[in-house]
Amino acid sequence: MTVFHFFNCAILTFGPHAVYYSATPLSEYDTLGTSVKAALVYLGTALVKLVCLATFLNVSENDSFDLYQELLKALIGLIDVAGLYFALTQLTYRNISQNHKFQAVGLGWAFADSVLHRLAPLWVGARGLEFTWDYILQGLEANANLVLSISLAALGSLMWLRKNKPKTLIPIIYICALIVATMPSITSYLRRGMGWHFPKVVGFELFTSLVMAFISWQLFSACQRPSV
Amino acid sequence: MAPRKPREPQVLESFYPVVALVFILVACVELCDAATVVDVYRLIHYDISGVPFGSRAATLNHHASSLHFPSAADLSRSVLIIPLSELNITFLQECISQKKRLGGLLILLPRFLGSDGPKNDDIKCPHNGVGMIKDLLVELERLLIHSTIPYPVYFTSEGEDINAVLADVKNNDATGQLATATTGGYKLVVLAAEPRKLVSSTITNIQGWLPGLKSDGDASQLPTIAIVASYDTFGAAPELSVGSDSNGSGIVALLEIARLFSLLYSNPKTRGRYNLLFGLTSGGPYNYNGTHKWLQSFDHRLRESIDYAICLNSIGSWDDKLWLHVSKPAENAYIKQIFEDFSNVAEDLGFKVDLKHKKINISSPRVAWEHEQFSRLRVTAATLSELSAAPELLERTGGLADNRLFLNENKIAKSIKLVAESLARHIYRYEGKNIQVFADDSSLAVNPTYIRSWLDLLSRTPRVAPFLSKDDPFISALKKELEVHTHDVSLQHEVFDGMFTFYDSTAAKLHIYQVASVTFDLLLLLVLGSYLVLLFCFLVITTRGLDDLIGLFRRPPSRKVKTA
Repeated sequence: MTVFHFFNCAILTFGPHAVYYSATPLSEYDTLGTSVKAALVYLGTALVKLVCLATFLNVSENDSFDLYQELLKALIGLIDVAGLYFALTQLTYRNISQNHKFQAVGLGWAFADSVLHRLAPLWVGARGLEFTWDYILQGLEANANLVLSISLAALGSLMWLRKNKPKTLIPIIYICALIVATMPSITSYLRRGMGWHFPKVVGFELFTSLVMAFISWQLFSACQRPSV
Repeated sequence: MAPRKPREPQVLESFYPVVALVFILVACVELCDAATVVDVYRLIHYDISGVPFGSRAATLNHHASSLHFPSAADLSRSVLIIPLSELNITFLQECISQKKRLGGLLILLPRFLGSDGPKNDDIKCPHNGVGMIKDLLVELERLLIHSTIPYPVYFTSEGEDINAVLADVKNNDATGQLATATTGGYKLVVLAAEPRKLVSSTITNIQGWLPGLKSDGDASQLPTIAIVASYDTFGAAPELSVGSDSNGSGIVALLEIARLFSLLYSNPKTRGRYNLLFGLTSGGPYNYNGTHKWLQSFDHRLRESIDYAICLNSIGSWDDKLWLHVSKPAENAYIKQIFEDFSNVAEDLGFKVDLKHKKINISSPRVAWEHEQFSRLRVTAATLSELSAAPELLERTGGLADNRLFLNENKIAKSIKLVAESLARHIYRYEGKNIQVFADDSSLAVNPTYIRSWLDLLSRTPRVAPFLSKDDPFISALKKELEVHTHDVSLQHEVFDGMFTFYDSTAAKLHIYQVASVTFDLLLLLVLGSYLVLLFCFLVITTRGLDDLIGLFRRPPSRKVKTA
């Protein structure tokens, strides 16, 4: 029964990645290698981030929200963007369209994030006899994260890879990218600064991820138009 | 395409050590993540001459249920949680006598009865009906230890966690549906090994001497006065049998008397012409088995030299009267002497001591009072107790109800003064004179702090003899304390035999899990599956168009067709 629950939560956490890969044209163009590379870049970025966090951050005994520390954390969180930049621009991919490239990178990114952050707690926690909603919520959070990662990758590819984009849209792209990139800090603030509970935070994440996805999709198609 | 093929396996190969590492880590992770873990204490599990008594099982793995269960429900797969305040003895009695099958029984004791002993603030706050609780506990204990219960019975003290669980369970039961594997609820799990018989358990008697002053040239042995108290307990839950009154009060009194007389005996001028023998005996609940063995080990001359023995038993919560129990008629000169000493001192102290004579029945194995073991060997002895009549076997042996809360320190101090003063009058031949040796403000006054600290220790220490090992810290503590005041302290280890057999696993950890039902998991799987299918359809439609989706179903292995 409890392995059953683990199975359920694992489906919720990792299923959407697989579905995304197989449902979209990504599978048709065999972009798995790109995703794997992006995941490896994520691993490297996570390592750098860890080192930075360990070096610059104080360990706070209480779970309170400290503005300075959080700002520092947000700044370190921007290393993610650098990693994504590296994955999008510096790695060479053979015959892969820009359109698929950012999707593959975002997918690999989100999958690596899920594996790194959610697999171990899931394995340890969800198999126990004790039932909590936490692991289901965590799975939903993974879904939101997938959407956010792909949005960020899309915005990144707009920023760094596309040359002929409408001038008026550039600030909007940058603002959106900033918002998406600082999402982890925002949720951390909501959870600790505002004292929101986990379900509420997850709901917020799901909602914003959908909104951001919609906006970046609109931006992307808006940029696509003149080039077509 | 060509250069890609060799690279991909390379990437995968670099993952293998990582995967291996992950699996090693996973194997090391222990699964222990219950919402609540509480200490529970099992009902005693024992045989009397092969007849089984008590709770006969230890492992528990059932759903929780409260007293509000639906009347038609089958309880054989659920654990009944009953707080003491809601306990109905007749209900329990019926359950046991009708051999109703329960998954288990968990009895919640009020917090002040917990294993840590009462906290100070618990004592201060007024408890309504504390006496009622005591009566209930006595009744419960009597019922449980004399019946055979095939399922595990555990005791625990009330706490916030377990109360929250109970409230939830009650709500669930009120809806009329019993929690089973399909409706969710709480699961109570105790992982315990099958209880095993305790083999070769020992009982330990502790003795110490205060030798009297021998006058020069007097070859004959000095007479001896023995002060004896049995120190072990017996109760429904061995780990909760702290016996503050029976016989914690007796132990404290003995230690304090030893302390007072050691002060007197340290100075040759005040050293009496009596040897004082202090004995802390074990096996009290089992017909004073330990006392019997202790006396057997004495040589004949020593036994002859004992002038009389005073046994102390339950002297901590009397009202206005103590009883001196003897097994020789009151006309006996020695008995008369002892009783006169005691009643005179008691009168000076402002209360009464009454004499009660109970003949010994040699043919019966039952020994109700400790002094009867002395009397059987023709040694004059008496027991000082607050009980007016001899208790039955395994009653008043320091079980659940015998708590520090019901104890009166002043009364113990008075009892101590009574014994010490009457001993002093006998030893220094002050009989009939109104001289206070242990006056309240003198250096020989009874020390209330000493009494309190020892009572605190005793009220925290369960001491059911078969579960006390030879070198138990409690026994060493008693020995050390006697060594401070007396000489020639020795331990006597005896094999615990007789008709009693005990089983182990007296304490355990209860894990309380909140569990979801199988139906919930199935439902969740259904929801997740449809979510993924919907997501798939949505993505296919948005990225490839509706025709592609339909095409997927028309020719399932679409990629194969393409490559072909």
